[in-house]
Amino acid sequence: MSKILVHVATADGKIKRSSLEVLSYCRKLADDNGLGLEAAVLDIDPSRYTDALNTYGPDKIYNLKHPIFSNHLSSPVIDAFSLLVEKSSPRLVAFASTESTKEVMGALAARHNAAAIPDVASFTLNGNSVDAERPVMAAKVLSKTSSSSDLVFVSVRSGSYDTAEKPGTAEVEEVAFDFDEAGLKSVLKEVISSAGDKVDLSEAEVVVAAGRGIKDEEGRKLIEDLANSLGAAVGASRAVTESGLFPATLQIGQTGKVVSPQLYFAVGISGAIQHVAGMANSKVIVAINKDPDAPIFQYATYGLVGDLFKILPLLTEQIKQVKAG
Amino acid sequence: MNLSVCIKQVPDVSAPISIKEGTLSQDTDRMVLDAYSASAVEEALVLTEKHGGEVQVVLVGPEKAKETIRKALAMGAASGVHILIEDISGLDSSAFAEILAAWHKKASFDAILTGKQSQDTDAGLTGSMLAWNLELPFAANAVGLQFENDSFIVKRQGDSGQEMVELKSPCLITCSNDMNDPRIPSLKGIMQSKRKTVETVTPADLGIEASALNSDSKTERKGFKEVPGREPGKKFEGEADEMVSNLMNLLENEAKVL
Repeated sequence: MSKILVHVATADGKIKRSSLEVLSYCRKLADDNGLGLEAAVLDIDPSRYTDALNTYGPDKIYNLKHPIFSNHLSSPVIDAFSLLVEKSSPRLVAFASTESTKEVMGALAARHNAAAIPDVASFTLNGNSVDAERPVMAAKVLSKTSSSSDLVFVSVRSGSYDTAEKPGTAEVEEVAFDFDEAGLKSVLKEVISSAGDKVDLSEAEVVVAAGRGIKDEEGRKLIEDLANSLGAAVGASRAVTESGLFPATLQIGQTGKVVSPQLYFAVGISGAIQHVAGMANSKVIVAINKDPDAPIFQYATYGLVGDLFKILPLLTEQIKQVKAG
Repeated sequence: MNLSVCIKQVPDVSAPISIKEGTLSQDTDRMVLDAYSASAVEEALVLTEKHGGEVQVVLVGPEKAKETIRKALAMGAASGVHILIEDISGLDSSAFAEILAAWHKKASFDAILTGKQSQDTDAGLTGSMLAWNLELPFAANAVGLQFENDSFIVKRQGDSGQEMVELKSPCLITCSNDMNDPRIPSLKGIMQSKRKTVETVTPADLGIEASALNSDSKTERKGFKEVPGREPGKKFEGEADEMVSNLMNLLENEAKVL
């Protein structure tokens, strides 16, 4: 039976939500097309995820254990994952689209002479064809991209699909992986984490994002207070990362991170299409902006037209009360 | 230090765009140097200004794309290579990577720089495919770059935090637009660029048959469609405390997200 192979991204002992979304959708896609579903975990201790993965019903799990996966280098991942592609012999390989995925997918596709369709908003199988839609031209339109290659790699934007449990018991195969660290042509020297990286923005359930309207340090403090009251991650538009008020690592948008939280606060953000491309998959969007014609209100579930310097302190206070509640 | 920078000519994505029967229509047919490519050129220029050597830019595209090579030369690149293919509409990242690999197999360089993606397709595949084809050490999404002891030290933006990665030369690095602000060509730069060499090569010169080009492409673009909108929401104006009370009520009782 032909198969779909899903790469399972992990961080800090947890499976990334974006990977569970891909796994959930691929379970359905596999069922609809009479295909098998296999999951691949590359980790320092992959077996710790087996129970969680079984909740989503893969037919088989490949566990590939190696200490090298504790660092962020792409070349061991390319070698290891290639081994699994050869073992599994899938017709479709699906990733969650992350910065790590972006560094390996092209090389993997080239290595396996396969097609690659990155960063898709949706995809499906039609006979021999993988049909995907992905944002292009600064996210102003969707391109319909297809491939009839024997092997196709796709990566999926976070929030494109819902997670859906389908408990089962997968066959588990422990795959041996020898890697010669001496042969590495790249060396990880250091990982620099900024304060903003405490909560992984792309995985966060609640995001408070700041735009040009926050103006200065006082505005930034209000954003951080609101985020703290919600246990939320802080994000920012390009305007305020360029001005230096927030680090570039927090930029949300087509050229920054793609987020898909349950709740997204766009504060003082006008809603340029490049920013919207990074957050439009959020479930509930709250926009706070003094300009009633700001484009962000077209995307907002709830829009507040007014002065954020008045609104944020009140909002933070009320949320604190509810959370203390 | 000799650096090869792969650049791309793209439509001006800031221009209004519409879809007519599945094809794109723009108010302008203005073509520009891709912003990520421009950051790669800028970074290469900064490195050669510090460590000596030259920057060569390489572009795959039609005759019209020569103006984009001239732009990079006006910024300060020493020479250009134009891999002339009049119709690139059927070529995907795999095909571009094959063509660029064929050129670089004959070239000598200490590093190849490219944009981390291009503004028109945002795919971000060509760099890593090219690195694989040339068996080069590779890092993507660089936000900083240094050269020390025959190695490139790349600061790349990862999923959680920034990673410092050391790559032995020769290597390939893809550049973020957060890396720098590309310089605007000076009048002097523009005048000098006219005297700089642009070598034109064809796929046949690189040993690639025209018929092979499209079969190197493994994906096909079937058309375009509008980005779906969101359900219209509720919008409040008025006193701050009233709006906040309304919002709290909706977040708790309607959306149930608190």
